[in-house]
Amino acid sequence: MVYVPDNPLSHVFRILRDDYRDVKTTIATREEEAFGIAAGLYLGGAKPTVMLQSSGLGNSLNALTSLLLPYQIPVLILISMRGDAGEWNAAQVPMGRAVAPICDAIGLPVSAAERPETTAEIVQLVGKTAFGTRLPGVCQLPRRLTVPARPQEARA
Amino acid sequence: MTSLDAIRQIVEAARAADEAPIVASLGHPAYDLFAAGDRPANFYTWGSMGLASSVGLGLALARPELQVFVIDGDGSLLMNLGSLATIGWTRPANLVLVVLDNERYATTGGQATATAHGADLEAAARAMGVTSAATTRSEEALKSALRNTASTAGPCVIVAKVEGSMPTAKPPLDCVFIKQRFMAAIGCPEPSTAGGPA
Repeated sequence: MVYVPDNPLSHVFRILRDDYRDVKTTIATREEEAFGIAAGLYLGGAKPTVMLQSSGLGNSLNALTSLLLPYQIPVLILISMRGDAGEWNAAQVPMGRAVAPICDAIGLPVSAAERPETTAEIVQLVGKTAFGTRLPGVCQLPRRLTVPARPQEARA
Repeated sequence: MTSLDAIRQIVEAARAADEAPIVASLGHPAYDLFAAGDRPANFYTWGSMGLASSVGLGLALARPELQVFVIDGDGSLLMNLGSLATIGWTRPANLVLVVLDNERYATTGGQATATAHGADLEAAARAMGVTSAATTRSEEALKSALRNTASTAGPCVIVAKVEGSMPTAKPPLDCVFIKQRFMAAIGCPEPSTAGGPA
């Protein structure tokens, strides 16, 4: 799994690193680089996941549209959403709103987790479809799932 | 030494390293790699400027038993300098990144890059923790640096100063063909997608 850190998912990174030693994690300096590394991992026979914040989708578009999509390189893409319900930072809102339309415009299938108890299932299904169809697939993780609703923590 | 001369040396080094894979940045590096010697273990990128070193890094991490060569350009690497930091941190021993530094954006009309004005990519690699970094200014020096990579724990970054030359051929345009041929050549043929519910 290649990722660019994101506070709402920091516990996921920590758990993967500490408790799932069979999942190799690498931090990239920016999201576009993460997709380049993921493409190389796939070419080498691995099944890569990229985790990023919605703001990083903008950084990733050239990698997605001129490497992953034309070469049919599948990657499970988990997008930690900002700018959706519960957001406090106006700078996150435009890209947050644009994630699904951008994915649609470039031909990336996009799903969204809805409830904690079904999140594992949808993430697995998006991954299964991505690797089964050789098409990168996006699963959005909405902010209301990744950040507790208490105001002092919602500002993280 | 032209970029084509340099790439011939890289192809020779890859062949000597048990037909090792080569990942080429888009434009002139990919065109010249095809001209120097098309082979299944060549991965030609047709887009994603800046990401050749990242693709090579991912491949090197996935397949530590393979020596992985990357042919990048100065303009391309300048677009993704953070890649040097990730390479310096993850330190894949099997990654050889050769930057063909003609101090120009050759594919787009020859505009000067920052390396024409003092930017030093070898120094950048060292500053990011890549201890095996060198700059070569002749074919003989490049040959020697490539030979050293066979016995040096990587990652290795070689900045090969080259003169531009006009490419004479282009690789296949079919990206999926390039990928599948490449994966088969390095021993991990792409899994079939068949087999859904009847």
